[in-house]
Amino acid sequence: MATTEVTRTATGSDHHPEIDWEAAERSPEFRELIRKKRSFVVPATIFFLAWYFGFVILAGYAPDFMGREFLTDGLTVGYVLALSQFAMTWILGAWYLRKADREFDPLAERAAQVALRRRDNGGTS
Amino acid sequence: MTPIAAVNGTALAVFGVIVAVTLVISWFASKRVNTATDFWAAGRGLTGPQNGFAIAGDYMSAASFLGIAGLIYLFGFDGFLYSVGFLVAFLTVLFLLAERMRNAGKYTIADVLSYRLKQEPARAAAALGTLTVVAFYLIAQMVGAGVLIEGLVEIDFSLAVILTGAFMVSYIVLGGMLATSWVQIIKAFLLITAAVVMTIWVLAKVSWNPIDLFTEAEGKSAEGEAYLKPGLFLSSPLDTVSLGLGLVLGTAGLPHILMRFFTVPNAKAARSSVMWAMVLIGAFYIMTTALGFGARAILGQGGEEAAGATGNGAVPLLADELGGEFFQAIIAGVAFATILAVVAGLVISASGAVAHDVWSNIVRRGQDSETEEVWVAKIAALVIGAIAIGIAILGGEGLNVSFMVGLAFAVAASANFPALLLALTWRRFNTTGAVTGVLVGVISSVALVIISPTVWPGPDSEGGLISGYDLANPGIISIPLGFIGCWLGTVLSREREEEFSFDELYVRSETGLGAEVGTGLTLTGRSNGSREADERELVGNR
Repeated sequence: MATTEVTRTATGSDHHPEIDWEAAERSPEFRELIRKKRSFVVPATIFFLAWYFGFVILAGYAPDFMGREFLTDGLTVGYVLALSQFAMTWILGAWYLRKADREFDPLAERAAQVALRRRDNGGTS
Repeated sequence: MTPIAAVNGTALAVFGVIVAVTLVISWFASKRVNTATDFWAAGRGLTGPQNGFAIAGDYMSAASFLGIAGLIYLFGFDGFLYSVGFLVAFLTVLFLLAERMRNAGKYTIADVLSYRLKQEPARAAAALGTLTVVAFYLIAQMVGAGVLIEGLVEIDFSLAVILTGAFMVSYIVLGGMLATSWVQIIKAFLLITAAVVMTIWVLAKVSWNPIDLFTEAEGKSAEGEAYLKPGLFLSSPLDTVSLGLGLVLGTAGLPHILMRFFTVPNAKAARSSVMWAMVLIGAFYIMTTALGFGARAILGQGGEEAAGATGNGAVPLLADELGGEFFQAIIAGVAFATILAVVAGLVISASGAVAHDVWSNIVRRGQDSETEEVWVAKIAALVIGAIAIGIAILGGEGLNVSFMVGLAFAVAASANFPALLLALTWRRFNTTGAVTGVLVGVISSVALVIISPTVWPGPDSEGGLISGYDLANPGIISIPLGFIGCWLGTVLSREREEEFSFDELYVRSETGLGAEVGTGLTLTGRSNGSREADERELVGNR
């Protein structure tokens, strides 16, 4: 099966000591990326965990409320809340992808370029 | 255990077609897979949508298709709780791990954990977490496959398990992750199609009014109103919350799912693959409503005995009721493909832990060649397959499939997830913390399950081994314990040197600078510039 001769050794992910990672981590560009990303991911994570556990806790501790009829006979509050979890997952996911494409990716690219320029300029940028 | 009478001929033919197609794919893949990156990461050449289908195929097991629908059939609303948890879990994956794993990793989750920690202990810990999760999950799937095939094709349980194991190992030995990925993609397509067909069919039976599904199901359940309420299956509220916690954090610790993020070229493709997976998996889990409540509305009480104690037979019975033996054989074939794709994903992640982590980086200390590593991986896949076959046959049909899958999620959430998340985000985290956290997570979740009432049904069904402890799902205790283990191990040890290399992992995981590049591999050939990819350093791989 293996036809090509492979001689590289097997190790984990490569390290790149030629980059000044400490400076890259401190660069304003990287800090901005982290700040922007956190300002979305942290509230979004808290929100989805709260919405999900709200649902699970109600299912555990308030079965009668969850079994109550919602608008029409047969449809329960519990099932509607369950469906809302699906909608939430898709909406938050799509929202994150949009933010990442438009906002986070350009910032990440810029932070990486700054680090590479610093390497090419021999440590000063 | 044969709820379904002789569907022999047709079912065998359907199974045969599935096996033939997947083996042809593996044979194609075997001619292209050369390097370790090809073998474990499909050359990092999958597109976002392809990987999204593969994640869906890797994730939705027989426990989802037969298990959840069966739980809904038997217990109503509570079964649907699983569907919700299994889907929402992907937000944890998307927000916290998918892109970071892609940027920081190479072949296994241990690569991420050991990047800034001490190689040997960190890898050993990650390998332990991976192998424990895979062991429970794999045996559950193998037993499920055996029961399913035995029931449908009427061959011996042991033979069914051996055949399943043999196919799963052949995909990996022949075509590594490339073959595994395409088997998963095809399976996801088959499973969704089957669910759509069955959903439409069921809806047609209730005159296209989804609400009637609930009213008819309620009317045909001995439980009446309670059937549409929570509490029939999960009677302890705290257990419900504990299960929810394990589901929503466990997915982000499943090694075979996390490994899939190494198969795409960059972080953008990683996150788009999660979105694709969320759409496919979400659509499927919504349709479990039609399968489960539909089975109740259409089969009524009559199917209960034939569906078995876990309800696994409900979907095949429903298929028989809808479209007769031929349709039932098709659905059985889809269930079989479902299991094959999941077990292949599990075994390749376990072979990564054995060959890449334990053999190459601990035993041989990174001095072996890639060729040797791939050979060891194939041998490991064979051995793991053989062990899984053995345990599944010895444990037999008595093993409770959904219980084993729940345990796998609990270990993943308590051991793998805390260590990975903290390695990527907490500067102070160190090797002692990772080792302690994984050990505490694995031991506490397994021990809590061993003393749980699921294992020790008390004389008056009051509780487990220890009186007062009655949780079937350990997550609410073992997940915090896993995090506390990571934290305590870190602050109690003096090592601080790992903090310096945190910057590299942190910047790399967030920006993709320095991330591993692909080899340009595809199923039909190698895209141009494949070898150049190795030469390009650092830039342009995002």
